[in-house]
Amino acid sequence: MSSLRVYIASRLLTAIPMVLILLTVVFVVLRILPGDPVVAIVGGHAPPEVIETLRRRLGLDKPLHLQYLDYLWKLMRGDLGKSLIWGQRPVIDELMERFPATLELSIFSFIIAVLIGIFTGVKSARNFGKPIDHAIRVYGIVTYALFIPWFGMMLQFIFGVYLRWLPISGRADPFMEPERITGLYVLDSILTLDFPALISALRHLVLPSITLGIYISGIFTRIVRSHMIEVLRMDYIRAARARGIPEGRVVYRHALKNAFVPLLTMMGLQFALLLAGAVLTETTFSWPGMGTYLLERILYRDFPAVQGAIVFIAIIIILINLLVDITYAYLDPRIRLR
Amino acid sequence: MSPSPVKKAYIAIAIAILVIAVIGGYYAYIATRPKYREMLVIGTTDRITTLDPAKAYDFYTWEVFQNIGEGLLKYEPGTLKIVPGLAERYEVSEDGKVYTFYLRKGLKFTDGTPFNATVVKWSIDRQFHLRGDPSWLVTEFVDHVEVVDEYTVKFYLRKPVSYFPALVATVPYFPISPKAWPWDEFKDATVGIGPYKIIRWERDVELRLEANPDYYGPKPKTKYIVVRFYKDAPALRLALETGEIDIAWRTLMPTDYVDFKKMSEKYTVVEAPGPYIRYLVLRCNQPPFNDVRLRRAIAAAVDRWRICSDVFLNTTEPLYSMIPKGMWSHKDVFLDKYGEHNITLARKLLTEAGYSETNKLKIELWYTPAHYGPTEADVAALIKDALEETGMIEVTLRSAEWSTYVDYITKGVMPIFLLGWYPDYVDPDDYTTPFLHSKYCWALGVFYNNSRMDSLLEQAMVAPTTEKRAALYEEVQELMADEAPVIPLFQGRLIVVAKKGVEGIVLDATMIFRYYLLYAVA
Repeated sequence: MSSLRVYIASRLLTAIPMVLILLTVVFVVLRILPGDPVVAIVGGHAPPEVIETLRRRLGLDKPLHLQYLDYLWKLMRGDLGKSLIWGQRPVIDELMERFPATLELSIFSFIIAVLIGIFTGVKSARNFGKPIDHAIRVYGIVTYALFIPWFGMMLQFIFGVYLRWLPISGRADPFMEPERITGLYVLDSILTLDFPALISALRHLVLPSITLGIYISGIFTRIVRSHMIEVLRMDYIRAARARGIPEGRVVYRHALKNAFVPLLTMMGLQFALLLAGAVLTETTFSWPGMGTYLLERILYRDFPAVQGAIVFIAIIIILINLLVDITYAYLDPRIRLR
Repeated sequence: MSPSPVKKAYIAIAIAILVIAVIGGYYAYIATRPKYREMLVIGTTDRITTLDPAKAYDFYTWEVFQNIGEGLLKYEPGTLKIVPGLAERYEVSEDGKVYTFYLRKGLKFTDGTPFNATVVKWSIDRQFHLRGDPSWLVTEFVDHVEVVDEYTVKFYLRKPVSYFPALVATVPYFPISPKAWPWDEFKDATVGIGPYKIIRWERDVELRLEANPDYYGPKPKTKYIVVRFYKDAPALRLALETGEIDIAWRTLMPTDYVDFKKMSEKYTVVEAPGPYIRYLVLRCNQPPFNDVRLRRAIAAAVDRWRICSDVFLNTTEPLYSMIPKGMWSHKDVFLDKYGEHNITLARKLLTEAGYSETNKLKIELWYTPAHYGPTEADVAALIKDALEETGMIEVTLRSAEWSTYVDYITKGVMPIFLLGWYPDYVDPDDYTTPFLHSKYCWALGVFYNNSRMDSLLEQAMVAPTTEKRAALYEEVQELMADEAPVIPLFQGRLIVVAKKGVEGIVLDATMIFRYYLLYAVA
């Protein structure tokens, strides 16, 4: 296993410069964009001396390179800075308020996407060339081309407005939030045995999870399909069938396992992207997650919040990709020995 | 064998007791069940910026403060009449420069801090100390505050402005708890003294209010008010249609209002003339609009009716003065002077200024795409059409998102741009001085300097009677139309859409949506 440890260590080391480069690019771009964040905070009525006092207080009067070094130093101590606007709260506090909402939506969307992707991909591969295969291929293309706000709104119209079956926005009904332990409403409801809160949280998750899940499932469908077609043609599959092993076991136990490895990479990437905050879905469903947070703070030129959010997201994506690679290397020793 | 008469009697009595118990129980239930629904949900696309009266300077956050707090004076709902609030009464000195307020006794904030004259002084002094965005409403008018005794406080003014009571009713003058807000920095806090108290606030997601049991005035009929924040008008509309919210307030699309009016069996649409205005600003200290003829040409060419009908489906109305219709002293000065969409006059003025069809006036018209709603690009496009109809103007549309736009305003980057105005206080002064007085108009990108205008505005501020002030504001409006540093375009209407059965919706020129009047029968 020492080769695995070396592999992990080397991947972690390469992650550090990646984050630094990303941070530097974001730092520079935010500051060269037009728009003074101090004026955005205090508004146009404030006298010049008030503007200058705030600029000094926020450190925005220092030369750029000093602001950069100051920021890096704080980052090394785990301090993502304070938001420039509205109460100047620590960015990390604001992110931790929003992240559970995104995490919860990501988990449920991901589960839906994987289940649909695997089922349709396998179905398509097993019926290669037949009408069902063509239909599923079209599904894969159409879902990926969907415009999420439109799709989300259609679901809202059907299930919210016409059928009145499901809520269309937010995470729970008023006064139905569970006691906060993790910030994941479903988990917190279970932990506190608050079943009305659980029902409310699940009902609110349905539409946004389906919207995002279906959108992503198309990618999984195509990957599973193409790899399954390849694997189902292999000799050992033919041999398994010849030995009389039931088709279901042949497909799901033998073939899918081998087709799963390349799917894993894509799953990791997609999950990481979900955690970055699906802005369109969150906006459509008024879901208070990372995506809407980042969008709002960009519009307000809230440098520390934007930088902090991007660093946070970058670290998540890097960790998840690392996890995927480690899993990949664990499953296939040939990878770590390269 | 049939029961004996005695047994029959017992059975009859038992049945009678049972019937009485059931009927009595039913009436007891009717009597004790809530008469009104316990909770109403309001949806809005607005946002709370900061829960600090020393920093908040936006319409919606002030609305929240008006429901969780109160001033020494306040407006009577549905009117512009100023009535006692946290002060039982007040007196004005003969020279109009000293206001003595006699405070209500025995009140406390929701964190238990007693309300008294010391707290009032502290709150005003904090405005001076922190110099936040809205502080000018205090610092421009008040010289200092003196505590006379525990429940008496004196405000000494810099000048005897007649509309000082209107200022006192604004949020920067609200007394706040010194325990909740720090002296030397801005902070969000949820403590108040008004009809409601905040029990939960998740920024940009939800605000939850509960009736304040310690409020001195009439108790709200609805125990809980929940405000849900939505990203945009489509989301807000859907929320109302699915029943997730009971009331949609600021802002649906014009087409939504038209649709909801057609669904009158399910929804109530309440409208009132609004005090918010939209206008064009022309940068007066640089070419091309340092030339008054060009400003007049723009004023003549704009087509307000087309904007109101095509973009807003007549949910707004044309405006011909910066002082809105319905406010005393309003005059349709721009209509009187230029007419409406007067291309002939515009061409004449442009020709006088040296422009022609072969030598066109080239200008950049700026707008901000999201801050005033998604209709802004259409408004800008129609203004462009109207100006280009002269054949002597070429308009390039430019846009900038709000933070950048605000920056550009004060730096004088934009030669002509669209802007909006919600009143700080409901008085003609607030619709004139900020745009026309040379000391202040730079903050709105106008850069206009006319000593006669300054003098008229200063006189109107301190004139002792409404009649004298009205006469002065009429002169101000005449001069404004002649010089056209700003060009009014249209005036908004306040519109609330609610589910049938929701009552107590009172809209007036203060634009304060009073949640504490809302109710729905259970």
